[in-house]
Amino acid sequence: MWLTSKIKQLLMVMKPGVVTLNYPAERPPVPKNLRGQPVWDHQKCIGCGGCSDHCPSRCILTRDVCQELRVMLYDGSRCTYCGRCADICPEGAITMSNSFEIACDDKDDITTRLELFMMTCQRCGRCYEMEKSNAIDRINLKGFRYDNLEQRALVRTTSETFSPELLKESDNYKRPSDKE
Amino acid sequence: MRKELEAKLIARLRDDVVCVEKTDARTIFVDVKRAGIREAAKIIHGAGARYLCSVGYDNIARDGTLGMIHTFALDDCNQFVCCRTTAPVGDPVIESITPDLPSAGWSEREVTDLLGLRFAGHPKPKKLVLADDWPDGIYPLRKDVPHDLVPKGAEDVAYELDEAPPGTKIVPVGPFHPSLHEPEHFAVYVDGETIKGCDYRGFMTHRGIEKLCQTQVSYNEVPFIAERICGICGSVHATAFSQAVESAAGLVIPRRAEFIRTLMLEIERIHSNLLWLGVAGHLIGFDTVFMQAWRVREQIMWLCERLTGNRKTYGMILVGGVRRDITPEIAEDIRNVVNKIEEELMVIHRAIEKDTSIHKRTKGVGTITREQALDWSLVGPVARARGIDIDARRDHPYAAYDEVKFEVPVLDSCDVWATLVIRVIETFEAIKIIRQCLDKMPGGEIFVEMKDKIPALRHAITVVEAPRGESVHYVITGEENRPERWRVRAPTFPNLQAVPLMLLDEQFADFPIVMGSIDPCFSCTDRVAVVDLQTGKSSSISKAELDAMSRKQQQRA
Ligand code: SF4
Ligand code: SF4
Repeated sequence: MWLTSKIKQLLMVMKPGVVTLNYPAERPPVPKNLRGQPVWDHQKCIGCGGCSDHCPSRCILTRDVCQELRVMLYDGSRCTYCGRCADICPEGAITMSNSFEIACDDKDDITTRLELFMMTCQRCGRCYEMEKSNAIDRINLKGFRYDNLEQRALVRTTSETFSPELLKESDNYKRPSDKE
Repeated sequence: MRKELEAKLIARLRDDVVCVEKTDARTIFVDVKRAGIREAAKIIHGAGARYLCSVGYDNIARDGTLGMIHTFALDDCNQFVCCRTTAPVGDPVIESITPDLPSAGWSEREVTDLLGLRFAGHPKPKKLVLADDWPDGIYPLRKDVPHDLVPKGAEDVAYELDEAPPGTKIVPVGPFHPSLHEPEHFAVYVDGETIKGCDYRGFMTHRGIEKLCQTQVSYNEVPFIAERICGICGSVHATAFSQAVESAAGLVIPRRAEFIRTLMLEIERIHSNLLWLGVAGHLIGFDTVFMQAWRVREQIMWLCERLTGNRKTYGMILVGGVRRDITPEIAEDIRNVVNKIEEELMVIHRAIEKDTSIHKRTKGVGTITREQALDWSLVGPVARARGIDIDARRDHPYAAYDEVKFEVPVLDSCDVWATLVIRVIETFEAIKIIRQCLDKMPGGEIFVEMKDKIPALRHAITVVEAPRGESVHYVITGEENRPERWRVRAPTFPNLQAVPLMLLDEQFADFPIVMGSIDPCFSCTDRVAVVDLQTGKSSSISKAELDAMSRKQQQRA
């Protein structure tokens, strides 16, 4: 019994031989619909904030520095490559690219920052809702937003008109572990 | 069933029964007053219901109470019974059901830790989930506690392990140990080489997922977070959550989406069973099995990459359906891959089924009787290896399982060997299900949108059979486009509780494989709580220094 099993096992091992890929010397092509690093098309983005609202890991931040200027920041160090942002974007401004070799020693190498000119926009979210009708996918954080980009923290306070006070307040945001 | 149950409850409890109602075809809610909870649980259990888990929730803002729900399943008539009661927050004590149903022990300890509801008569009212240095009086799942609270840790607090039985020595295993793949701590009491008992201290990988999803994201993000509860049965948690929300909202999803969900769940089962087979081989020192099982498994990982865009976290499931369709080319691809896997797994199966070294290491190891397994409400292959014929796919059909045919293997040798055989058979069954899904899949939409907001405060429960046992998800819908309460009970949660019993009178050398036989997933089990506060101590550096060091390390990046 023992011997026949061992012979069978030998055959089982010998037939496939070595299967380990010689990576990185050898790089097999990646499948075409791989969910790799998301990339932004700043021409298409309208700054609605939908992606930022629906990112499961909350790594897309939105900061209104004044009425005219909205900064969107994608922090790749916390991204899970789920592709939710690409799904949710009403303008198709986000694509899940094929790049996956993105290990790096500087966070900024995998950070995307968009500065969008918003002019008279009141951030009411109507442009988003024209495209997205699912009742559980609507924008929850409407209005002006004040995420802290240095700390990479999403702040859940919003205001209907631009508020310099809230902007200032968000500068003082402290990570919970740094609070006394 | 509702009528009979109501009659039984009223006969015994009279005024303590508030109401017994049936919200949909398969869920019965029993509301009782606090005084009657233990008796009610006993009656429901006596009516043939199997205990699942308990859910605590905070209702303080509405009526100043803490709620407690014990959930049960009636496997032969596809129904769930949820027995609810409340206790005022000023006097948060209800009677424990653990003396009658031992597997409720952990659920109740968890509720005590997270919500501050105490249980009179609990046999082991110790901390379970929270870190040892978590301050008293802060209950992380209460609504007034922010999700990102980091209280100050204390130095020099340690968990008091159980008293070792007389005449035994303690062998500590973990929190970090070569034979464990995740951090947890076992104190194994041995007499010579024989294990005489063991105490468990785990929950070291808390990530606060439930709290996060109850406070920060909206409904459709939760499936992606749920998927990351576990690196192995991701789709299971995403499906279970989505189904619970759909059932609370009364949303019917397209049939095609249900078939695709079934397909994903079965693909996941193949990968998980092969992974486990490899790990089991590795744990008994038979690395040939490990290498070969994982070689075969690799094809499924690549298939998933082509199919979903990722090797593991598939991201296929949303509330309302699935994200990607199965095109004819992909269907062909799936067929080819599963054919190949079936063939190669057969080769492995033949090569190891009669191998004496496997038999010696697994037969008669980790035995507990069918009765004990029933008492501890074991689930999944571990239960089926002990002669308990349960499988959520057959007993509580969800997705498209009502339309596919498959066998549920049940063995009664009650040991690790039986578990191993069952998981191999289930892989072949999974392949059968995949073929049927591809054949029977109807055309049509794969996603349906929600027309209105989901009404708040609806309760829903679902079970999904994960490769390692059944996962239970309980959802209470909330007002802010996110769940008010979401409770996940992973299969390891009940199975791990029975491990001390499985270990009793075994050889210490068999510890890894007995442990491994339940395919423990500590991350699933640990999912709750708020922050990852470890009482990591070492002789030369204090926790504070360790913290500072690792922060610095992080900031450099
Ligand atoms: S891929 Fe997912 S995690 Fe990454 S930015 Fe988009 S939504 Fe967020
Ligand atoms: S969802 Fe699209 S359009 Fe809106 S902010 Fe994000 S990238 Fe821009």
